[in-house]
Amino acid sequence: MRALLTRRWFVALAAAGALFLGARAGGPAAQEKKPPADEKVSFEKEVAPILAANCLECHSGDKAKGKLAMTGRAALLKGGRKGPAISLDKPEESLLLLAVSHEDALKMPPKTKLPQKEIDVLTRWVQAGAPWPDGVVVTAKEKERVITDEERNYWAYKPVKRPDVPAVKNKEWVRNPVDAFILAKLEAKGLTPAAPADRLALIRRATYDLTGLPPTPEEIDAFVKDKSSDAYEKLLDRLLASPRYGEKWGRHWLDVVRYAETNGYERDGAKPFAWRFRDYVIKSFNDDKPYDQFVKEQLAGDEMPGYNPDAIIATGYYRLGLWDDEPADPELALYDEFDDIVATTCQVFLGMTMNCARCHDHKIDPIPQKDYYRMVAFFRDIPRYSNTRNTSSAANLTDITPPKERAPYEEELKKREARKAEVEAAMRKIEDEVIKTMPAEDQRAAEGLDRPLVVAKLPKYWTREQEKEYDRLKKELATLKDKPVPARELALSVNKCLVNPPATHVLLRGNAHSPGAQVEPAFPTVLGVPAPKIPTPEKDAKSSGRRTVLANWVASKDNPLTARVIVNRLWQHHFGRGIVATTNDFGKFGTGPTHPELLDWLAAGFVQGGWKIKRVHKLLMLSQAYQMSSKANDAAMKADPANSLFWRFNMRRLTAEEVRDSMLAVSGKLNLKAGGPSVYPPIPKEVLAGQSVPGQGWPVSPPDEAARRSVYVHVKRSLLVPILSQHDQADTDSSCAVRYTTTVATQALGMLNGQFSNEQAAALAERLGKEAPNDLEAQVRRAIRLTTGRTAGAEEVKRDVAFIKALQEKSKLNDADALRCYCLLALNANEFVYLD
Amino acid sequence: MNHSQFCGRTRREFLWETGAGFTGLALTGLLSADGFFDNKASAGEIKTKFVNPLAPKKPHFPAKAKSVIWLFMYGGPSQVDTFDYKPKLYPLDGKTIDIKTFGRGGHKNEGRVVGPKWKFQQYGQCGKYVSDLFPNLATCVDDLAFLHSMYAESPIHGSALLMMNCGRILSGNPCLGTWVTYGLGSENEDLPGFVVMLDGKGGPISGPKNWSCGYMPAAFQGTVLRADATPIHDLELPPGMTQEAQRELLDHLRQKNEEHLAERKDNTELAARIASYELAFKMQQHAPEAVDFSKETKETLELYGIDQAKTAPFGRKCLLARRLVERGVRFIQVYSGGGHNDDNWDAHTDIVKNHTFHAGNTDKPIAGLLKDLKRRGLLDSTLVVWGGEFGRQPTAEYAQGTGRDHDSAGFTMWLAGGGIKGGVSVGATDELGNEAVEDRFHVKHLHATILTQLGLDPNKLTYFYSGLDQKLVGVEGAEPIKQIIA
Repeated sequence: MRALLTRRWFVALAAAGALFLGARAGGPAAQEKKPPADEKVSFEKEVAPILAANCLECHSGDKAKGKLAMTGRAALLKGGRKGPAISLDKPEESLLLLAVSHEDALKMPPKTKLPQKEIDVLTRWVQAGAPWPDGVVVTAKEKERVITDEERNYWAYKPVKRPDVPAVKNKEWVRNPVDAFILAKLEAKGLTPAAPADRLALIRRATYDLTGLPPTPEEIDAFVKDKSSDAYEKLLDRLLASPRYGEKWGRHWLDVVRYAETNGYERDGAKPFAWRFRDYVIKSFNDDKPYDQFVKEQLAGDEMPGYNPDAIIATGYYRLGLWDDEPADPELALYDEFDDIVATTCQVFLGMTMNCARCHDHKIDPIPQKDYYRMVAFFRDIPRYSNTRNTSSAANLTDITPPKERAPYEEELKKREARKAEVEAAMRKIEDEVIKTMPAEDQRAAEGLDRPLVVAKLPKYWTREQEKEYDRLKKELATLKDKPVPARELALSVNKCLVNPPATHVLLRGNAHSPGAQVEPAFPTVLGVPAPKIPTPEKDAKSSGRRTVLANWVASKDNPLTARVIVNRLWQHHFGRGIVATTNDFGKFGTGPTHPELLDWLAAGFVQGGWKIKRVHKLLMLSQAYQMSSKANDAAMKADPANSLFWRFNMRRLTAEEVRDSMLAVSGKLNLKAGGPSVYPPIPKEVLAGQSVPGQGWPVSPPDEAARRSVYVHVKRSLLVPILSQHDQADTDSSCAVRYTTTVATQALGMLNGQFSNEQAAALAERLGKEAPNDLEAQVRRAIRLTTGRTAGAEEVKRDVAFIKALQEKSKLNDADALRCYCLLALNANEFVYLD
Repeated sequence: MNHSQFCGRTRREFLWETGAGFTGLALTGLLSADGFFDNKASAGEIKTKFVNPLAPKKPHFPAKAKSVIWLFMYGGPSQVDTFDYKPKLYPLDGKTIDIKTFGRGGHKNEGRVVGPKWKFQQYGQCGKYVSDLFPNLATCVDDLAFLHSMYAESPIHGSALLMMNCGRILSGNPCLGTWVTYGLGSENEDLPGFVVMLDGKGGPISGPKNWSCGYMPAAFQGTVLRADATPIHDLELPPGMTQEAQRELLDHLRQKNEEHLAERKDNTELAARIASYELAFKMQQHAPEAVDFSKETKETLELYGIDQAKTAPFGRKCLLARRLVERGVRFIQVYSGGGHNDDNWDAHTDIVKNHTFHAGNTDKPIAGLLKDLKRRGLLDSTLVVWGGEFGRQPTAEYAQGTGRDHDSAGFTMWLAGGGIKGGVSVGATDELGNEAVEDRFHVKHLHATILTQLGLDPNKLTYFYSGLDQKLVGVEGAEPIKQIIA
């Protein structure tokens, strides 16, 4: 039944949408004559609610009952099978009034008669000629979504309770409780876990998992030779302490928070200081910042007391999404921006697809549409990214200069800026006056980037008075600009938030122009948490305080979702898939946990352990499950080919960043400089040709800067670095919880013929020449060692040398080209781009 | 209620979304076991199993069109100066009238009419009025179906381009070519299944976002193709490499990879990666052949205007489009116009200069393409689409000049071939050509029509993402434009 109703609502909206658009620009043709408006009846306030609550559920859309649609005046006049619903000539005989009176055979609404007051409203309205203002859309009132006990008892919404560690037969195999949970399920199925991985596979796996880089031959040797019982634990401690760790795990977080450094759309302009957010994330992981604090800083860092630049930078979280600087419908764009925040926040922190409830109740999960707008209400104090086309705005930048340095300048600066604005406005006014007298081409050009060229033509058109005044202003401006400006540190963030945000309404059918009932900030109904009390803002408050309330709830130990969601992500990036594979969706549309008890055991321990992430890494990596080989056995392959019970370790391809960083590492070109503004590695001109202004927004960095880790490469929404995009880097337009691993021919072309891989092959060849001069065999051995970590076999070396010789002799390549070709091969090998 | 029934969600979406542990390739293997895809791809000599994500798949129902050529007139051609004949507009030239418009200049309630700057004449058996801008294309009208009542949700280039290509004004969604290759794969594994040819002036606004796979795997995104010696990026051998040496390299690489695979036989990703190198090698051989026009006759080259400097660039792209269709490429998009301002159809200041230039560059090549497809019997199975991201207003944008602002409330597109009726015109704008008033068609109806002709049900072609069964035509669905379907 619900589905049927819903379908009708859809249709109603489709028709409504057309109506809305139609009202926008009624051309000179076919303007209907309007009846006189009757002041006594307000259509919107009195009539529309009656229609919405009682009529439209059945009488709308293309399956309207009795073929009568009641979605507009014309439809009512046209009527359905029984004829027009409203008669303008004899209003009192209108079928509509007859039906609602319940005095005739046709009784509407069929079950219960409307209250007399409402019948009177309808009567007066029909008598007044049934006025229906242009553009007003009325849709059926949605029924309150009832949440059942069964829905409340869904596993993800119930409190986390630490389960007992299960008993297993093969106690030997268990190194820590994680293993008991895994083994219990395997034993139940009669499956045997895979043998331990060899030392090389293990150090390669652990090093990539924690740092995103290959272990060096020296690191491998040290580990393989270390026979002490805690050699592996020491390895983990070393890797967790490495600054490279934050660069690897920060990248996982940047994926889910849709990190990009530009706004998308036509101009795809750069977000100022977005890189500080990236550095903040990396530092937070490196410092092992408690996750609850990490959450609170991103959601409400600006509301934290005192001078706390990291917390301000963290609120850049809200500014990372798409921003249309020229929306066709600004109201819609505003709600699209809230939607980006609600969708991201609920998926990332809570594993809830709240975004599915923007237009209607969630189809599967117990999330009423109201809950969506209650969530919007939490964010209602955040002003738009910018109100002009300028990518920097007072709302998205905060001065994080230390107060001591800032104070003396501030007063002076304020005065100076105010005067500058005045002068500029005065100049602009003169310019505009003069431009109006110029030809159309110039007028148009003046609206865009070419304005300076048009301004240069002013002298041809202006009066002497205009000239004199303009010159005077220009001089003053130059003086103001020449004065030294104190260096300021700015951060992409939320700023100028509203202490008293406007009311938030449910939007009927998600239509930004059809506000429904007003709502207040509240947590998802299904969780049964009482509505929060938002404290009255202090006198000097800079925001509404709502987000702190939200953040405290998200990051509370009682929240059933937060800890489960994050430990699941940690598991995902160590074991190849989450315990819940749909890591952004813990709802019924998601896959559900394969090991629910393990998930809860981890989540509970995580909170008890102070929300510390490095502790979980160590726990997971010290398990026998993590140290298993990826080798298959026939019985398990047959019983569980997808490895849903984790009977072996999952092989994985390197991520996009790991592919690029590893090539740089092996070639010896990798620059490990950390932090700061992003870098721009060269992009071939064929790729730049796809831009509307080829090369725009991509100032190529010098070679050593271009050779920095991929996490420091500028993330431009409309222009991707080929080697990264070919290997499935995250799409940044929305939260990316799971990367794809696709394999296509154009990827192989890039690896074989692409500029980047060939440059790295050349650098590797050069490195081999230096490290093993004039010894082809040694060069081959070194190449294999560097790219696979393995010591090459004698037969293998012989064959590879023969291959190089053949290139020289048969294919007539010179020695250098032949070695380069061999290095290219080494970088293309599956063994290089796959772990295990 | 049965959840899987409700959204038609099956194992396939789960796997796509969770990604990890299953690659697109391994996955398509699973999918074919589901009987969802009919795949016949193989990897030449390679013994190991390889399933190309672009392997041809069965449509939902028998297809009328096998391929699509989308001629994208970027910037927005003016309907009243091209195919939407408005005789009442001529005498109003220069007069300021009450008219509601919405363009990049914002909402306006009045405007100075710019009368159509070209004469219209009737052509063909259908007697279609076409402006003098298209003397060649006008001779093809009996094969074309005109949609005069198109409308879109944004009169701003960036979002309107996204809408026309990806169905929504918001960034991040897969484009039509992605949906088509996701649904059908491509017939020729030696060439990309979805290609985009750009204007020499550059890409459209937002560049690659217009041929982006959005939230789908990268295998389905468009590949930029050039009608010159190196049609695909990274196709050319790097300096110092020869073809023989590369073959040697590939053979040796395969040997190494197969040894590596021997102990990991159950991992289909590794096999897929081995095969992808063979495909890449084949692509290197076949793609240059596709752009090699040396076997085309002089008459054919002239038909496309390749013998004349003005029409040669677009003519080459049109001819290449035909050659790609012959080679089984599924979806081909060709841009007329690139970059900004008058480098595309965005005629804000001087409609005569702008449209004379762009129509002059494309009229003959497009007519040549249609005629060539027809005489080779390809038009029946090739759907050709023409149009911009929106149209232009009947009134001027500035106090002076003949430029027109954007108009997304009503504009014209046409389709031809691929089971589309010829010589028909459906829908209408008001008498000034400002706004669609009869049989209004949203962009999603155009998309639904294209998918339908390809044998895909627009309301059933779904992809599970972000908690929703996503569709190109939106959650509410859309019907194809039946009036133009033969």
